Amino acid sequence: MNALVKAQNLSYKINDKKLFQGISFELLKGKALHIQGENGSGKTTLLRMVCGLTKPTKGDLITLTDKEVCFIGHKNAIKQYLNVEDNLALMNLNNHHDLQKYLSVFDLDKSLDINIANLSFGQQKKIALLRLFLNRSDLLILDEPCVGLDTNSQEILVDFLKKELANGKGIIYSSHIFLDFDSDSLGI
Amino acid sequence: MFQVNRAYPYIFYLSLITYLLSIFWGLFLTPEDFVQGNSYRIIYLHVPASFISQSLYLAMAIASAVYLIWKVKLSVYLVRSIAPIGAVTTFIALISGSIWGIPTWGTWWVWDARIVSTLILFIMYLGLISLHDSFNNNEKADKFLSILVLVGSVNIPIIKMSVEWWSTLHQPASITLSEKPAIDLVMLYPLFGSIIGFTGLIACLVILSSKLQIIKREKNKSWVKDYV
Amino acid sequence: MQVIKFEFLKLLKKSRGWLGPILVFILIMIAYPLTVEVSDVELKQSFFSILWIAALLVIMLATEDIFLEDFNDGTLEQYAILQKNLSFIIGSKVFVYWLVIGVPISIIGTIFCVGTTSQTAFGYQILPVLLVSTYIFMNVFSFGNALSLTKGSVLGTLVTLPLLLPILIILGKVVVAINFDLNYSGFLLLLLGILSIIIMIIPMIISYIIRAHLE
Repeated sequence: MNALVKAQNLSYKINDKKLFQGISFELLKGKALHIQGENGSGKTTLLRMVCGLTKPTKGDLITLTDKEVCFIGHKNAIKQYLNVEDNLALMNLNNHHDLQKYLSVFDLDKSLDINIANLSFGQQKKIALLRLFLNRSDLLILDEPCVGLDTNSQEILVDFLKKELANGKGIIYSSHIFLDFDSDSLGI
Repeated sequence: MFQVNRAYPYIFYLSLITYLLSIFWGLFLTPEDFVQGNSYRIIYLHVPASFISQSLYLAMAIASAVYLIWKVKLSVYLVRSIAPIGAVTTFIALISGSIWGIPTWGTWWVWDARIVSTLILFIMYLGLISLHDSFNNNEKADKFLSILVLVGSVNIPIIKMSVEWWSTLHQPASITLSEKPAIDLVMLYPLFGSIIGFTGLIACLVILSSKLQIIKREKNKSWVKDYV
Repeated sequence: MQVIKFEFLKLLKKSRGWLGPILVFILIMIAYPLTVEVSDVELKQSFFSILWIAALLVIMLATEDIFLEDFNDGTLEQYAILQKNLSFIIGSKVFVYWLVIGVPISIIGTIFCVGTTSQTAFGYQILPVLLVSTYIFMNVFSFGNALSLTKGSVLGTLVTLPLLLPILIILGKVVVAINFDLNYSGFLLLLLGILSIIIMIIPMIISYIIRAHLE
């Protein structure tokens, strides 16, 4: 079995208003799936469904991974009043062997003792993305990962995702910014 | 729903007649109370109202459990429609109790166990209504409402016990299932009648109000459009 | 253990969150004598009701945004995805809040109690009662504030306060028991029993509620 996620006929309703219906897809190992759609078409809801946060109103969704899912959402899940180092500890990343490498790639290694509130939006996003770069899972779910990132960081992100695909991981993402790597697309 | 619709007028008229007859009986055909004089006659409103206010909470608790376990939507509509009716009956019980209190105890409010627990019940009903109304996502609101009803239903007997333990002035319940009634039979029959009639009337109100809930919440369904 | 350490880190760095309620408690305890005639008898008579009500209100203040911040910044959704055991995290969070806010309040309350009644023996009996009851308050208010997560704490309090009235009644009885040297340990055991049931159940209910909020 090579599939990481299998979805059949998913639909979702809020207050009897249909958001989307009849969505089926399958994500194999080493593949990426780009979810495309207009604002308000339910991309975020679909991604949260794959994470197990939201339950589909109808349909089946099976996630076949024994590891935790890595999810990057709109919310950064970092604490404004703590410094970078404490936040890394909260994310459980402070002992990761690749940490130094990515800190220097993103030019964050000098700002470990700075409070998050004093960093720019893009820098905060980079810290949130460390969760992705130092992930321990085979299923990566990214909801608009590029918002606030400069071109250089976007390239780093794309290179990283290509490498992860080569390692046999699965990626489901939504992005309005074009990311240059091989992926299937699913319109909702 | 359609069976309920057909049965509805029968329930309504039967209970209306029962209630009116019992009240007539209670007000004009029974003798004065030896101690309390004529003022006790408010019992035909007070006792049914306080009986109903507690039974309605029990009904809500059962419906909430059904919703949380089996996800039956109808039962949470029932919970939502009972809440304001429960609040009103509790309010009636409180007010009629106050009015009764003036000639009997000489004051309209005492810090007595059962009065306080009724007041708390009233506040809990209001809390339920405001909790449900503050969420835009109906399903979320339904879940929270039924959790709170269930937690409250565990707590209501505890509140009752503890408040009774704290202080008691109120006369003990006039009718209990196990013991011989502490009230004369002449007054008891109309009291029973009024309880049954009042219960029926409130049941009709609950039916009407849940019909409204169903139509409101399922207004996009084709069968509702056909029905309306 | 790590979860508890993290919760400590988050709470302690936010002095408004823990120091504020403690200071409010002290202020209420200082304000109370100013509202009555300075005669010892009156002070002692209603001191304990002020103590319980102050503890109740301050715990209410302290738990006001216990889940709100983690909900708004997305920490809770990460927890819900990564950790299967959300109710354990919630239990630890409430425990840390109690340790940082409830315990100091209990100690300060005991000091005020000894100061007002000028009987040290009283303090030994009040302290455990305060410790247990603040933990109960913590749990129940957390439940209410989880229900009203994004809707403000007034709703949470309205929903929770009726549930706590039995505890207040028991606390009133405890004072009578201490005064007349009656069954004090019985009451303490009763409170402990209630607490142990609450600790088991409330985190599970809260985690169910929070998952519903995240949906």
